[in-house]
Amino acid sequence: MTNDNVRYRFKFSKGDNVKFIGHLDLVVAFQRALKRAEIPIAYSNGFNPHQLVAFALPLSLGYTSTGEYGDFQLPYEADACEMKQKINAVLPDGMYISELVKLRSGVKNTMASVCAASYSIFFDYDITPNDIEVNLEKYLGQESIFVMKKTKNNTKETDIRPDIISAENDSVNNNGIIKVLVNAGSIKNLKPDLVAESFCGYINKEYNKYKVSYRRNDMFMKDAEGQLISLIDGVGEY
Amino acid sequence: MNKAVSDEILLQVDKPARYVGGEINMVKKNPSDVDIRFAFCFPDVYEVGMSHLGLQILYYFLNRREDTYCERAFAPWPDMEEKMRENGIELFSLESQQTLKNFDFVGFTLQYELCYTNVLNMLDMAGIHIKSKDRKEDEPLIICGGSCAYNAEPLADFVDIVYLGEGEVLYDELLDLYKEYKKAGKTKAEYLERLLDIDGIYIPKFYDVNYKPDGTIKSITPNHPKARKIIKKVIVNDMDSVFYPEKQLVPLIEVVHDRVTLELFRGCIRGCRFCQAGFIYRPVREKGYKTLLNQAENLVKNSGHEEISLISLATSDYTCFPQLANGLLDEYRDKNINISLPSLRIDSFSLDLMQKIQEVRKSSLTFAAEAGSQRLRDVINKNLTEENILSGCKLAFDGGWNKVKMYFMLGLPTETDEDLEAIADLCDKIVEKYFEIPKEQRPRPVTVNASASCFVPKPFTPFQWDKQDTYESFGRKGALVKNRIKRKQVRFTYHNTMMSSLEGVMARGDRKVGNAVLRAWEMGCRFDSWTEMFDFEKWKKAFEDTGLSMEFYANRERSYDEILPWDHISVGVSKRFLAEERERAYKAQTTPNCRQECQNCGAKAFGGGVCYDK
Repeated sequence: MTNDNVRYRFKFSKGDNVKFIGHLDLVVAFQRALKRAEIPIAYSNGFNPHQLVAFALPLSLGYTSTGEYGDFQLPYEADACEMKQKINAVLPDGMYISELVKLRSGVKNTMASVCAASYSIFFDYDITPNDIEVNLEKYLGQESIFVMKKTKNNTKETDIRPDIISAENDSVNNNGIIKVLVNAGSIKNLKPDLVAESFCGYINKEYNKYKVSYRRNDMFMKDAEGQLISLIDGVGEY
Repeated sequence: MNKAVSDEILLQVDKPARYVGGEINMVKKNPSDVDIRFAFCFPDVYEVGMSHLGLQILYYFLNRREDTYCERAFAPWPDMEEKMRENGIELFSLESQQTLKNFDFVGFTLQYELCYTNVLNMLDMAGIHIKSKDRKEDEPLIICGGSCAYNAEPLADFVDIVYLGEGEVLYDELLDLYKEYKKAGKTKAEYLERLLDIDGIYIPKFYDVNYKPDGTIKSITPNHPKARKIIKKVIVNDMDSVFYPEKQLVPLIEVVHDRVTLELFRGCIRGCRFCQAGFIYRPVREKGYKTLLNQAENLVKNSGHEEISLISLATSDYTCFPQLANGLLDEYRDKNINISLPSLRIDSFSLDLMQKIQEVRKSSLTFAAEAGSQRLRDVINKNLTEENILSGCKLAFDGGWNKVKMYFMLGLPTETDEDLEAIADLCDKIVEKYFEIPKEQRPRPVTVNASASCFVPKPFTPFQWDKQDTYESFGRKGALVKNRIKRKQVRFTYHNTMMSSLEGVMARGDRKVGNAVLRAWEMGCRFDSWTEMFDFEKWKKAFEDTGLSMEFYANRERSYDEILPWDHISVGVSKRFLAEERERAYKAQTTPNCRQECQNCGAKAFGGGVCYDK
């Protein structure tokens, strides 16, 4: 495929209304929105042409997010601001594009770029802000944190400590909240429910997986100096 | 908006998006701002119901009224039902997430017989009394429509109103009257009596059914002076001016059909004798192709779908088909929008068209032969010869296709083992046809997927008096065909025989069958059209417990003078015509289609459609 296409990156949020839409359905919903917005999206060649839209790391079913990313391609340049408005007007309630930029040439796609993600873990009332205040540092101070991690065929014991970059107590009033930065992407990827479960285990409290909720705050890549920056920082061509 | 169900529960059920609404083009109104709340219920799972065209039409038709809020509800899958019952959550609508109990109308569309236990279950889950006579003044009116409504007798004790015909015709009148009666402080009973003035509306409680000692019907008598002896269906005559939505509900999860739907016409000219749709929807009424092209434009724009499907009972019979197909191709072929053409007769024109539409990808070709031998195809008036099928296949194979789908039926009236063997032989012949192509021109292997359904005699068809095969007999016949097939390229499957048997009971059931439906539901029957949920043993027990015989309904031939449970309903086609058609069937005589020669079936009385074409 020749590539004279113009590439764009967008950052969007996925709210409470749409958190039960799985990744594949979300992709389709997005593609339909692009059609309704009459964005002149480019298609792949081949037997079964599809829209050239790709998303960063899939979000687990039931999670909300304020930091999702995707890239799409157009056969020619169009005004980013106008497109953002048009798409926002037709997205499902609960989805909203906050930024849309034309990509500089040479920027890697979102999935290849992402290396870390920030999540907020909202505990139910069993885990208090005090539990977090008193124990989080000690929990992080452990040399290793072993959990049972599900793989394709079985579950195996894995140390997740190396994949936790940092964590902080982010509680509000009586609601216990941990904000955690973890490795993310196609090479190393830690899901925050394992942090939540192991933290509960560490303080001898029950982890009720249906009562804890999660929000992805943002996703990050590394800049030239190796610093973590948001997937949309500095990628635009203005 | 507050969800009716907590996240904690939603996280524990399969596909939680089924229960939260919020789809594209969902109508939002404040329930307290409207006079009438209407719950449109599809008694099956979300993905099936959301693929139903009637829902899409009526949803926007009812919501175009400012005084009405039409919301949707589907049958919760058993995992969700369990959670809802455990937590005391009543069945709610997707839009407002509020219980159906407080609606003015709860309407069910009845598209197949095996959804009846779901109807009862949905009422019960909403906290609504199941039987009409038990419902209080503050409970909703239960209304049903759809193809099974033409014999809704098994549900007669549960529904208040049966709507016979096309929704666009009477709903405004029904709702205007309802509003008037509600404002005047009148009762539901008074409203139902008032509805007796309207043809097309059947109120079961105003009719008494008496039985003879042998279980057949002695009489169906109106018990109210205003109740008509015969209630006649209502239809739309002008398809170009009738309401059609400019948008569609676009689900946020994958459903059975994700596409824009264009309705080419209603009714069918063919008169295949087994086909209920071919009689109950008469006469054929077409939409103009310009109307359709306009509707396509709106729907594509407002949905974002990448497929347009043309819907009708026989696409090739659409008189402006070339204009429509070319119009759609011109507009959409460069816009990455596919056009799908179900129920297409295979000839050189349609193949040429399919070539254009599908450039590279070759989907499979479908032939609904229905019977294996010419004699039996003549019996059912299926106007398709072996020559048509084989030459169609040859054309398609030459054009690069290599997959053929064949549909048959087992247990058709007058069927012999030779007719069954002919099914196997026809499939083998199709494979042989493929091998007539020079070897170098057939790079891929051929496959013929043949499937057979089990014939179910339906009301308002010429075979409404016939006995249905037993499920044991269906099983023997299915095996016979399977064993006869020689070519390994042919795959043959047949439908669940016991499910077909139950469908046969329901289709021609009377009011007594309602007791068995209730009993089956009490024993836990749900989603009876789902193989993994269907429990025939429970159904047998339900009939036993209620003193009824399934054989009486399914496997018994009726005499012409027997009163049938649906004799007080008219679809326009006369009983005399159906009986004549049956006699012709037994002589293997075919009948010309509506465009060739009018047979005076009775549908002319509606004053429109093909009956008046020059």
